Order: sequence, then C-alpha cells, then structure tokens
Amino acid sequence: MIRIAAVGDVHIDKDVVGRYRPALEELPDKADVLLLAGDLTRHGTEDEARCVATEFGGLGVPVIAVLGNHDHQSDQPDAVTRVLTDAGITVLEGTGTVLDCGGTRLGVAGVKGFGGGFAGRCASNFGEPEMKAFVGTTERIADSLADALHALDCDVKVALTHYAPVPDTLVGEPLEIYPFLGCYQLGRAIDSAGTALALHGHAHHGTERGTTPGGVRVRNVAHPVIKQAYSVYHLLGDDADIDSPSLVHAGR
Amino acid sequence: MTTQHHADIGTNRPLDEYAEAEVQRLLTEDGRVAEQGLTVSRREHTLILCGDVESAQRRDEIVRLIREQFPGIDLQVDIGLTRANAPADAEELS
Repeated sequence: MIRIAAVGDVHIDKDVVGRYRPALEELPDKADVLLLAGDLTRHGTEDEARCVATEFGGLGVPVIAVLGNHDHQSDQPDAVTRVLTDAGITVLEGTGTVLDCGGTRLGVAGVKGFGGGFAGRCASNFGEPEMKAFVGTTERIADSLADALHALDCDVKVALTHYAPVPDTLVGEPLEIYPFLGCYQLGRAIDSAGTALALHGHAHHGTERGTTPGGVRVRNVAHPVIKQAYSVYHLLGDDADIDSPSLVHAGR
Repeated sequence: MTTQHHADIGTNRPLDEYAEAEVQRLLTEDGRVAEQGLTVSRREHTLILCGDVESAQRRDEIVRLIREQFPGIDLQVDIGLTRANAPADAEELS
C-alpha cells in the first residue's frame, strides 16, 4: 500500500507560517509522500516561497509540488521553484519523479495545467491570435503531462495538477467559470497513461471526488474543499483485501 | 486593478451587478488580498461575502478594503477560516 498525503491552495504568506505545522509533524506516521497541488503562495514572490519552504520543508517525507496560477502572479515562477527546490521540495512542470515506497515504485508526473473547458463546452483553437494562444497553452501543457506520465518507469502512476482534469470535482462552482478552472485535455492525458489517481486544486467551491472518462479517480484537494491540513489516500495493491473497486472510507 | 480605478467608483454607488463585479475583481486583483475563493452575491441592498480564507488578518483586510472602496454599502461577512487540523482518517482506493 502507498500512502499519499495531498493538499492544494494553501496560499502561504507570513501570516500563515506555522498554521499547518502541528498537522505536518504527524505526516511520517500517516503518509509516504506529500503532494502539493499548486497555489502555494498568494502572489508568487520569493518571500512567500520562502514561507512555503519554512512550512513544508524538512517534513520527514518527500514533498512533491506543482505551481498554481497564484504562484505565477509576480511572473517569477523560476525563482519560486528555485526557493522550493533549495528547501528539498521537488517541483514538477511537465516532468515526473519516482519514489520507492516500501518496495513499490510510485511515479508522480505533474503540470500546473490551464483552463479551456470540458467536452461540449470548451474553447477552440480558432479565430483571434489571443484565442489560439489560450487554447494552444492548454494543449501544450496537457501534452507535456501526457509525455511525463508515459515516461514514468514505475509500478503506480499519480498525476498532480493545479487545474482540474474533469468537471466532476467542480460541482459547486458557477458553471460559467468552469473553462477557467480546468480542461478536458488534462483528463485525456491522465487516461492515456494507466494513471491510478489524479489530484488537483484550484476549485475552492468544488467537490472532492470525481472520475475521468477512463475511470481514473480524481480528487480535488484544494484546502477549502478538504477542510483539513491534508487528505491521505491509500493506494491499494492488486492483492488488497477489498471486494470491489468502489471506495472504502476508513474510520467513517 | 489600481486604487485609482476603484476611486472612480465613488461613494453611494448603487449596489448593482457592476458593483458586484468590481468587488469580485478587487478581491482577486488587489495585491493586499488576492483571494479568488470567495463568493460575492447580492441580496436586496446587502452584499454578501462567503467562503474561507487562511487567516483572520486576511479576513479583516478584505472587509477593510471593501468598506474603504465601497463606502455606504450594507456588507454581510460570512467568511470562515479554513481548518488546518491533521486528518482523522484516510481514503482507501483499490
């Protein structure tokens, strides 16, 4: 079994440092890895990134992150990434990493993602250059996620994004802003690669659980959605004592 | 959005959908706030703010800025602080 802790949209700044730490100290007992699903800062400054590094560095488990749109606000994503990397946090963008979790190789591929909308209600790469640039960005990022997932040499694959790959986990958000919250192309990338689980954030008013068209479980781990410091997901192996592929809630 | 732009809105502006849109953009675009997770809605003459933020300071700053930029509006604040406790359980996925 692989134990994955995850949270997104923590929006750390000086006023939040220390808030997560009591719960994070328990992480090594609860999880093998912590995944951060973007929007780690408020404005994407180096100072805020240092606050993230203080809060999520040195946890006793590996920490893997993608950036979110807030982390791009100051146009310094490389500086934010450098600060996080210096603190031992692995930052993915069209890349992947593999961890040994008790003999099972867990592969995580990640991208920020982008908007664009979902099947039947999506933007098209057509018309004005601004529209082509928008959808072109969507497609380029989704393609890089597919490439990163396919390149993983591991036993279990997890996709980590900030934007949503399915509309299921957006329920609760206004329908009108779905195209700004995610895109179907991310879901297609996830479905193309034998992915076991997809985690994202971004949709504060969304829903925790969803599924891709290909049957991959999707979880919205935005902090206001999960309402705790992080959620933990147990990925069970083929020999798990479980009757069906449906979800089992421990302790509920 | 700049402070000057907000100043153009003026005092005693009707609480219409334009004001609602300006508040929504203020929450996102003002560097002192940068909140995209709050719901802004109108009920008769009252503007209602709903959602969760990460600290009490952020909630206070949001309320202060809106009162400053939109003086005279009836504001109802229903903003909570997102809990940051450790999870009591895990979800098992086959």
